[in-house]
Amino acid sequence: MKIAVPRMGNLSLIIKDMVQRFDLDYLETPPFTEQTMEIGAALAPEFACLPLKAVLGTFVGALAMGADTLVTGGGHGPCRFGYYGEIQRRILEREGHDFRMVVLEPPSVSLRAFHDSIRSVIPREQVGFGTLARELYLTLSKVLLLDMLDKRALQLRGLEVVAGSVDEALADAQEIVSRAFTRKELSAARKEGDARFREVEIEWDRPHLKVGLVGEIFVVLETFFNFDIEHWLGRRNVVVERSVTISDTCDPFHRNPVFGYPEHMVARMAKPYLSHEVGGDGLLTVGSSVIFARRGFDAVVHFLPFTCMPEVIAKGVLGRVSQELEMPVLSLSIDEQTGKAGVETRLEALLDLAWSNKAKSLHARAELQAVT
Amino acid sequence: MTRIGLPRALLFHQYGDAWKSFIETLGLEPVVSSTTTGEILTSGTAHTDNESCLPVKVFTGHLLKLKEAADAILVPRVVTQNRGMKSCPKYLGLPDIARAIDHDLPPIFAPVMDLADRRHKWVNDWYEMALRFGASQSAARAAVKAMLASLKSCMAPLAGAATTDAGFNVGVAGHVYNLQDPRVSMGLLDRIRVMGASPLVVEKVPRRLIRRELKTLERKIRWDSESDIVGAVLHWSRSRSVAGVIYLSSFACGPGSMIGALIEDQFGREKSVPLMSITLDEHSGEGGLVTRIEAFLDMLRYASANDPSSAAGGAR
Repeated sequence: MKIAVPRMGNLSLIIKDMVQRFDLDYLETPPFTEQTMEIGAALAPEFACLPLKAVLGTFVGALAMGADTLVTGGGHGPCRFGYYGEIQRRILEREGHDFRMVVLEPPSVSLRAFHDSIRSVIPREQVGFGTLARELYLTLSKVLLLDMLDKRALQLRGLEVVAGSVDEALADAQEIVSRAFTRKELSAARKEGDARFREVEIEWDRPHLKVGLVGEIFVVLETFFNFDIEHWLGRRNVVVERSVTISDTCDPFHRNPVFGYPEHMVARMAKPYLSHEVGGDGLLTVGSSVIFARRGFDAVVHFLPFTCMPEVIAKGVLGRVSQELEMPVLSLSIDEQTGKAGVETRLEALLDLAWSNKAKSLHARAELQAVT
Repeated sequence: MTRIGLPRALLFHQYGDAWKSFIETLGLEPVVSSTTTGEILTSGTAHTDNESCLPVKVFTGHLLKLKEAADAILVPRVVTQNRGMKSCPKYLGLPDIARAIDHDLPPIFAPVMDLADRRHKWVNDWYEMALRFGASQSAARAAVKAMLASLKSCMAPLAGAATTDAGFNVGVAGHVYNLQDPRVSMGLLDRIRVMGASPLVVEKVPRRLIRRELKTLERKIRWDSESDIVGAVLHWSRSRSVAGVIYLSSFACGPGSMIGALIEDQFGREKSVPLMSITLDEHSGEGGLVTRIEAFLDMLRYASANDPSSAAGGAR
């Protein structure tokens, strides 16, 4: 059984962990390229969302490299994601490939369904339930650690004194964490990672912008599709906070440990603008934008795949959020035709606007202080 | 507040009668927008995000038409239609989209409809809303009762199977709000009749038969309307009760694109009857659509003329 799993942000690090824990035979999927997208877009239905096309292209490549078991995520929410596996399976079978498609139901939907689906890849004979539960819990702890490291890097990158020093620290910390497997090792790795970040020289009083990053998880996490937004912003003195992460999505109790605001609070914040769950990350997009606005952020960047249903609804109401809470929001709809130049131009315009707003409010504050 | 606006779009085509009876029982005046016109389509497209699916654009056009004509607008939030199923996200967020469109719109009321809940706890939203409209408690209760009675007759199981007519049968699969909208569908069903064929629609296929076909799928489809469409299409194909199937989808319809791929793949595997997929958008020119339908029906007629055992006629 040779497994292939699609790439998405830190997912490849997580898979490497599981592969070592459970001794699985794994094929590392190559990074996304123009060609992957072309292949995927050619085979997929025209109005299928980008993640389906991208993953399909990846799977074609993986099958050519010898994979025989394709693993993808499931779910039954109103968003289409849960149905990808089925459509991809049919398309690949029609193309004449021989393989097994395993759909992993996310633990946040049903722990039981997750368990049953993961057993297709990690059979009972190999690993007993107790061991499986304990090891998966440790994997999830590692995911949480990796996401917290990302969060730290996003905060510091815009203020680093030496260009690239935060990314070096992040790479080192990730390396330390990937070598940790037991609870003790993970705890030690966390302390070491934090220490490594403290070594980076930071200019805390540098004038900077605070920008929130929201949207559909795949395009927000995959650098190929968001044109490496986190580094792009980091190079321009922007402190970034992202509301969507793998840990938060998988948390069975919806606490959002990385973002820091549990789901019920996000829903409450979103209520005046979007008062119902719409599937995918829709409600989170709106709720977290409201939270960022209230925390005085200078702008929000919203990434979504073209025709993503929940995000199109979010996009529709973000206009109101932006107007009423006086914070610019830029929605970027990504598909296989999206060009880098167009995206960069709009992002630059957003930052210009944010700087100009900031200058105005600082000026107004200074005037007020001069008078009083 | 006496005039309550109802946009003639989306789920109005399914539950409009129930909503009207609710409003009328309260002694208020339901104001329904006209059937879709070119103007409504244009204004809807201009005021919605251009990535929105066509039906939401149509809905927006109707909503804006009601601006001056009503004191309040009713946009119920239809959360489920059948047990274990989910609604399209657009149904879930529709009232919020409506409220974000135009600041000068009259107040929008969005009571929930959770039809999978057999105990009807959701009617409480409607009861509260009736009180806000100034009705007495007994009047509010009567309105709720009237609505539930009307819903029951909307959703009653159909007796008997789809009957066949003179000419031959063509299955036309698509959402009610597209097929029953003469402008959006370009009068598709009537055109098919004029061309000498008998169009069969999803709503006339008994639920029992739909469920039977759905059981054969490897993965359950979670969207209500889409699930019905797939079940009906598979029934028509497998029972050979149609000569061919036309699958009608909207521009940017999420669930529609998924089941479109499913239907195409399944028909390819089963090789039963011909399938034609059409995507509707606000630019759909009549000429293009008419030509395609004519060509498809000609092909079906030709196939049946050369192969007497094939499905054109469908005597079942």
